[in-house]
Amino acid sequence: MTRDAIKELIMEIIADIDEDADFDDLQPDKPLRDQLDLDSMDFLDIVMELRKRHQLQIPEEDYPQLATLNSCADYLEPLLKDK
Amino acid sequence: MKYPLLIIGGGLSGIAAGIRFSRYCPDVLILEKHSRVGGLNSYYYRDKRILETGLHAVTNYAEVKDKHAPLNRLFRQLKLSRKDFKLHPQLSSEIYFENQNSLIFSNDFDILKSEIQSKFRKQFDGFMALVQDIDSYDPFLSRPFISAKEFVHSRVKDTLLTNMLLCPLMYYGSAVENDLDLGQFVIMFRSIFMEGMFRPAGTMREFLQMLTTQYVNFGGKLQRRNEVVKILKNKDTVYGVELKNGETIECSNILSTIGYEETLKLLGEDIPSSTLKRLGFVENIFLTEKIEENQNSTDKTIIFYNTADKFTYKRPDTFIDFQSGVICFPNNFAGRPSQEYKEIRSTHLANYYHWEDLEGSKHEYSAKKMELADQSKEVIEKIIGSFRDKVVFTDSFTPLTIKRFTAKKEGAIYGSPKKIKDGKIGYTNLFLAGTDQGFLGIVGSMLSGVSITNQHILPKI
Repeated sequence: MTRDAIKELIMEIIADIDEDADFDDLQPDKPLRDQLDLDSMDFLDIVMELRKRHQLQIPEEDYPQLATLNSCADYLEPLLKDK
Repeated sequence: MKYPLLIIGGGLSGIAAGIRFSRYCPDVLILEKHSRVGGLNSYYYRDKRILETGLHAVTNYAEVKDKHAPLNRLFRQLKLSRKDFKLHPQLSSEIYFENQNSLIFSNDFDILKSEIQSKFRKQFDGFMALVQDIDSYDPFLSRPFISAKEFVHSRVKDTLLTNMLLCPLMYYGSAVENDLDLGQFVIMFRSIFMEGMFRPAGTMREFLQMLTTQYVNFGGKLQRRNEVVKILKNKDTVYGVELKNGETIECSNILSTIGYEETLKLLGEDIPSSTLKRLGFVENIFLTEKIEENQNSTDKTIIFYNTADKFTYKRPDTFIDFQSGVICFPNNFAGRPSQEYKEIRSTHLANYYHWEDLEGSKHEYSAKKMELADQSKEVIEKIIGSFRDKVVFTDSFTPLTIKRFTAKKEGAIYGSPKKIKDGKIGYTNLFLAGTDQGFLGIVGSMLSGVSITNQHILPKI
């Protein structure tokens, strides 16, 4: 999966969690939580969706690495390279 | 098969936890002892009429657009459409302390503020300071018991106003006599006074159906009439349950929603002794023919009343304490279609052991129920006006009824006075949710199931 495809995947997951999420002005280097008004409960859903869709086991201590779209791509790129 | 998660109890916390887990992993099993789910919040039939239990008015009213409101977060977590869920907001409610004072509140918090400003002028600044402290308080941090009564009194500096503010919050969920844990108080104050109350368009039956449908659609399994008699463990790790029918089921995690002591019992552990008393309630349902609209109470949704000089919230030494209580009009919600009958409900504190003494004699038990329902009627008629001539149907539930249908120890609807806020009771893979975790009410118990599953179970699968 390319970095762009990973970012698309994350946005698709968020759209599924919150149908009103607005991605128009989303900045890839700023925290997703602040920009999209997500709370910690919503955030866990991103992790759980990644597990469900791509069988990724993300340990709790790595959750902070999913903070921004760019950091998601950094962290997930090696894990999703064959998908 | 070995279930990744087994949930004991099909009440609201158990079903919410089940939906949450099955959304990501369908192999979850809920075991419910009774033939009907819902636990404390359920329904039954009498004379072909459906009667609800638990649901008077749901707390945590929120508009769809208010994304972070607890109600909307809950719906998002369960992947239920909040837009399709129609709410009827309360009209207005009242805290009525006979011969002392009264306060009106509704889903607009400014109404309560202006009531306090006009009726407790000197205490208004203190009340606003209290509101500010409530706004900034984090009730979800684990702390030992802090007295809400002292917290409120140190700010409003008036015993009557303190008691009037605490009365509805205690009746809506304090498991502790004459007080409330501060964390709980903050949650309840926001849920009831700042957010407000509503009821769903349908009955409790439809609400439960919406939840179980979601759960089953996600692949979760639900077994009714299946009672757990033992939790199987090896030191501090559990690995399954034994059922009443002799069968055993293996699992990797257990979420128990049946109460702290009730769970310890299944684990074969000693129950720690406690001097704290559990609180029981009696609730009466009166269905009446339509009453003329000229009554002062017809526009109220709930009246929290007290007729004593000093308000107390404790286990009475008699069957029922009529000095205070809750009067609810389940039809008085905005936009609710007109019902065939008018419903009036009264709730009072009760003593489980007095009722238990009558358990052996069906005749004496029903006679007592009738006698005390009549007394309750007399007491509340003094507040809302006469309606006895119009009553076409009466039913009551006592702490004994609650114990029989929900298996709550001593029929105490709010459970143990001691709460286990983090859900941990000394096992690596067994957690507690529901009443004894400490979030109460319909929205609270569901959030309890969701948050314990999020915290302890989902990250580990």
